[in-house]
Amino acid sequence: MNAIMALATKDLRLLLRDKTGFFFTFFFPLLYAVFFGAIFSGPGTTATGMKIVVVDEDDTEGSKKFIRELNDSPELDVDVADRQAATDSVRRGRRIGYVVLPQGFGKARGRVFGGEQIKIETGVDPARKAEAGMLQGILTKYMYQGIQDAFANPDKMREQINESLDEVRTAQDMDPAAKATLQWFLPTLDRFMRELPKGQSANRGWQTFDLESKDVIVQRGGPKNSYEISFPQGIIWGVMGCAAGFGISLVDERTKGTLVRLRIAPIARMHILAGKALACLLTTIAAPMLLLLLAVVAFGVRPSSWPLLGVAVVCVALCFVGIMMLLSVLGKTERSAAGIGWAVLLVIAMIGGGTIPLAFMPPWMQPLTHLSPVKWSILSMEGAIWRNFSAAEMVFPCGILLAVGLACFAIGTKAFRWTEAS
Amino acid sequence: MMRATMLLLKNVRKAFGAIVAVDGLSLSIRQGEVFGLLGPNGAGKTTTVNMAVGLLKPDQGTIELDGAGSPDRPDVRAKIGVATQALALYDDLTGEENLSFFGKLQGLTGRRLAERVEWALEFMALADRRRDRVKTYSGGMKRRLNIAVAMIHDPPLLLLDEPTVGVDPQSRNAIFENIFSLRKHGRTVVYTTHYMEEAQRLCDRVGIIDHGRLLALDTVERLIAAHGGKSILVAERGDGEFRVDTDDPLAELLRLQKEGPLQRFRVERPDLERVFLHLTGRELRDA
Repeated sequence: MNAIMALATKDLRLLLRDKTGFFFTFFFPLLYAVFFGAIFSGPGTTATGMKIVVVDEDDTEGSKKFIRELNDSPELDVDVADRQAATDSVRRGRRIGYVVLPQGFGKARGRVFGGEQIKIETGVDPARKAEAGMLQGILTKYMYQGIQDAFANPDKMREQINESLDEVRTAQDMDPAAKATLQWFLPTLDRFMRELPKGQSANRGWQTFDLESKDVIVQRGGPKNSYEISFPQGIIWGVMGCAAGFGISLVDERTKGTLVRLRIAPIARMHILAGKALACLLTTIAAPMLLLLLAVVAFGVRPSSWPLLGVAVVCVALCFVGIMMLLSVLGKTERSAAGIGWAVLLVIAMIGGGTIPLAFMPPWMQPLTHLSPVKWSILSMEGAIWRNFSAAEMVFPCGILLAVGLACFAIGTKAFRWTEAS
Repeated sequence: MMRATMLLLKNVRKAFGAIVAVDGLSLSIRQGEVFGLLGPNGAGKTTTVNMAVGLLKPDQGTIELDGAGSPDRPDVRAKIGVATQALALYDDLTGEENLSFFGKLQGLTGRRLAERVEWALEFMALADRRRDRVKTYSGGMKRRLNIAVAMIHDPPLLLLDEPTVGVDPQSRNAIFENIFSLRKHGRTVVYTTHYMEEAQRLCDRVGIIDHGRLLALDTVERLIAAHGGKSILVAERGDGEFRVDTDDPLAELLRLQKEGPLQRFRVERPDLERVFLHLTGRELRDA
């Protein structure tokens, strides 16, 4: 056991001193995971309002107040611009829609009775009908907010009532029946407002219901963010880098002659391979664990089960230790071993979801993915991170990984060339 | 008194396909001697060494080490230290780390390991570069470290396969001094080389090997006496240079001087090169 530990320690020390190997084991996977995670990350969980632009053609205190109210609302994110700029920003997709507040808007808003009807123009991409409807609803809400405010102020309300009554009395083209009704109704309302106790609002009489809205986060079966997909992929690249590196180092030992000295030492051949395998195993466990730790701390990855994730990482590591052994017999020299080894690894990465996430692969590709240990590696890690696999569900992918690892290790050790001559 | 046998090869044969590398070789190497295995490149020296340390299995014959059995067994191999012809070192480890690592593989631990590492570094004059990575060493330093690694576990038998290839004269002399010191301390050294002057200078006995067969084995003096022929007196007069075979160069020189004055002369004493020429019909350096 001492010899195996000595061999493993030596290989780990050499890995730490090999800048290229260290980069591909630890930093490249991190870059991969962060880069692709960032590219595919959406807006996240922070909700923002509907982005609109308002054209203020009234430019009065009343219109400015309305814009402030819209801007303070949680439903909207408001910019102010002239008509041309507003139209352009909608056309270019920077804003969902525009709203034009015409001249006289400030005065008309909050007036309950009489006066000319004010026309508010909105412009929305015709393809976004849902947003257009929402925008109209939100505008209506805030327009009526003005009327509600008027009822909350009896003195102001009475002023409006009397103005409206004067307009009704002097109106020439009004229907006589409507004129008579209003000439009865408006003084009655004025009397009602006058007799309200001081400081009391009339709103309560007008309110039919109160709508309360609460945020509900929808429970999803998928990943919580893109890093939960990109980190398992990045980890696979690190693990493949380890397997390739240690496989090539075995060839390197043979071509440089150190393998001869190891064989002369009073240890069994299996000790030599076990030492290499142990170093590879420790690295292929340590690198993913470090990356996962970083993923959790800095990128919001939240594994659904740490114990199952640990099992997955160990199974992935064991699988790739076997693959490392197989890679070491693919070439006679370091160069050929590296070339052939990476060619094999790239193919299994491509068909196994190491480059394109499994979920995005076309249906005809899906059966092919079963052939790649990369697929089962990613599936087992995703199972423990966001697929919510049970222990029983983990058995299948982990079992495949162990079987592939064992088979590759057996073939590799059997076919390994111990001397240059043989 | 006859010394005990350290390494015994009996009728050993090894072929690689149609090429017979070692053909019926029998050798008995005694404890405490420096034994030279002399032969041209491709003579079968390295194959013999590889069989002696258990790297290759002979097709025929037996090999026994120190009366303990075949070097196939790890416990028997522990009695051997080998400095291979190729530098078998880790360039990205320091000299000290290389020694420590190979020492651990030989079963050394703790204080004993530290002592042996210290000794090996001092013995090979590498102590001041112990913490430098091997890739920064000169060729001679790497050769010395290669030998130091072979000696880390203090083996009774040391096999040095062409240990001076590519080494500067200063390092070569240092290696020779180390070998003398090892002999003084009772270690057995098997030294393979194709440099006859090295074998002549270092070895108590020499085995001359060619095409995988042992052509002769004895002390250097006896080999020369048996196969080297007479000394040759090379002299020059006005009428040109001439060569005279003689057992007594001084007497022959006096005789020639009486016949007429000599402009210059030199004596070519028989050496292992001449022995090899006599045994094979070829010169060693051309073989």
